[in-house]
Amino acid sequence: MAACYQYDGTLDGLLTLYARLLPDRIAPEQISTNLPDQHPLFSSEIIITTDHVVAEAFWQGLTRRLSPHSLKLVRRCLLADYPQQELLLYRYLLLEAEQGRRIDQMLAHPHVAPVWKLSQQVGREAHRYLGFVRFQQVQGELYYAAIRPEHRILLLIGAHFAERFSDQQWLIHDKRHNEGILYNAETKEWLLLPMELHQQPEAAPQEEQFQLLWQHYFSTLAIPERMNLKLQQGKVPLKCRDVLTEFCVLPPADSR
Amino acid sequence: MTLDLMDRLKILADGAKYDVSCSSSGSSRSNSNGVGSAASSGICHTWTSDGRCVSLLKILMTNACVYDCAYCVNRRSNDIPRVALTPDEIAELTIGFYRRNYIEGLFLSTGVVRSADYTMELLIQAARTLRQQCRFNGYIHLKLVPGADPLLVQQAGLWADRVSINLELPTRESLALLAPDKTRDAVVKPMRQVSGLITVNRAERKASRKVPRFAPAGQSTQLIVGATGESDRQIVTLSEQLYQRLDLKRVYYSAFIPIVTDSRLPARPVAPLKREHRLYQADWLLRYYGFAAHELLDEVHPNLDQDLDPKTGWALRHLELFPVEINRAGYEELLRIPGVGVRSAQRIIQARRQGHLGIDDLKTLGVVMKRARYFVTARGRYAGEGPFESNMLRRKLMDAPQRPVQLSLTLEQPAGLITGEL
Repeated sequence: MAACYQYDGTLDGLLTLYARLLPDRIAPEQISTNLPDQHPLFSSEIIITTDHVVAEAFWQGLTRRLSPHSLKLVRRCLLADYPQQELLLYRYLLLEAEQGRRIDQMLAHPHVAPVWKLSQQVGREAHRYLGFVRFQQVQGELYYAAIRPEHRILLLIGAHFAERFSDQQWLIHDKRHNEGILYNAETKEWLLLPMELHQQPEAAPQEEQFQLLWQHYFSTLAIPERMNLKLQQGKVPLKCRDVLTEFCVLPPADSR
Repeated sequence: MTLDLMDRLKILADGAKYDVSCSSSGSSRSNSNGVGSAASSGICHTWTSDGRCVSLLKILMTNACVYDCAYCVNRRSNDIPRVALTPDEIAELTIGFYRRNYIEGLFLSTGVVRSADYTMELLIQAARTLRQQCRFNGYIHLKLVPGADPLLVQQAGLWADRVSINLELPTRESLALLAPDKTRDAVVKPMRQVSGLITVNRAERKASRKVPRFAPAGQSTQLIVGATGESDRQIVTLSEQLYQRLDLKRVYYSAFIPIVTDSRLPARPVAPLKREHRLYQADWLLRYYGFAAHELLDEVHPNLDQDLDPKTGWALRHLELFPVEINRAGYEELLRIPGVGVRSAQRIIQARRQGHLGIDDLKTLGVVMKRARYFVTARGRYAGEGPFESNMLRRKLMDAPQRPVQLSLTLEQPAGLITGEL
């Protein structure tokens, strides 16, 4: 009988669940983080308790067994925020257990293609946010940026910013998933932390001038004869715009 | 006349925005104890309302110019305020924007003041300030000034990731007509020199990593399309030569927009944006798909088809090569199928090692079936219904049938043709 499995929503919880289910080739009907509102009639619910040791051992096993390409796919999917992603990934891992590294070439397989597609989405969003992070200098020599990505991409972009801005203190805050990366310029280390913002940080004195310069520069750049708002919206979706300085309302021209 | 920084930034950005080049790719710089890095993939930071990406802070050093080129907004005879930024101001702006992650680096162009050499020296000074004083490791794109001393050209390449000099017009004659102060040789000579220096530098760096890099992201150029009467064939053939002989990274095409009125320029109410788009598609075919210019365009077809992309157009002229069986075709053959790109061709090759592919699998692999279906078979099955004949396929493949102009075209077809399809 197919069952619904539940875990606590953490990465370790999910890995524990995979570690318990995979050896027995169990085919779950659903994997969820909390009780579904409607109880399924013909299946039972099983709660898997997180075991960090099991999770760690399982992850180590995966990193040894999977090809680099496949591991990249799995890593990205673990960071996704997508309905039923747990089940998608489980089916992929189940197939991997049967087929081994041959799975890397089974691109059109119904259990591989969706995982690849999801990993593409996550990767694409991560790349997009390499450009869409907007730091503002706030009190205390800190550069603060807020983002609101669909997926939990912070771990994928941290290293890029740590290299690029290695001499400045910065913080990237994911407002959707309530976590953030804090970078320490002295130790050159960065950390992913749960994070919630209670009030908007106060901007440093020269910050407003740079924001204004950027906004005016940006609006000057467009060539009116080539106006193409549809193309622009495809590239900069509306959902991203509230964190982009250049899309915030331009102050009247005389208030410089 | 002194204006504050904001006004000068706006004027100088306005003067630089007609330069199309935006890419920040092709160079990989790591951050050595300063600020910034360059990602070889390039990163776009935002898109303006005309849909063009903003990757670099694209500005002029000054919009004052001794030249009087007919197509240019900064021409000597145009009555606009003339301003300039000092190398220090440019460095400060760049770093201020960069640290906030607004940009990937700097694109510095300029009008020509006093002489070509003097102007080139100012540009180099700005780049040097950024690299040495600000310890900036981000991307820098420098314009070369036509007629500048070869020694200065060489220096520019040592500070910049990419250098460029614009051909502007496809032929010598057009250049003489619209830009009487510039000669073709003054543009082509630095291009040749840079191309040679890049080749030498690459060889030297193979021998020793200590040799400083020279323009690691190569060089690019730009052509204005539609200001003079050249055919697409002339333009694409020129691009092909530039890629093959001078090893250019990119040729940019800029649909001519009349910014200034001049009796030498065509009176054109609409910029030829569609033509520009088709030229870019042809350009991609040259660089990534193994096409040659003479395959895409010849004496009979000197201009690209506005209604079909160049690859589909080519395929329709060569139906004897189609349909292609996707389970057997080689990589080069796959690449030539309309709707199959570099990525999907690679994925097809990978995926078919694990068994034959069906038509439905192609879509999963990322192939654009809207076009590809008429040109492939999978396990011997052909997916495009109807006869395999050029005119019929052409009508099915026409872009954007929802446009009213095109709709009326279809309606005007004799009824027999439409029913014949069924």
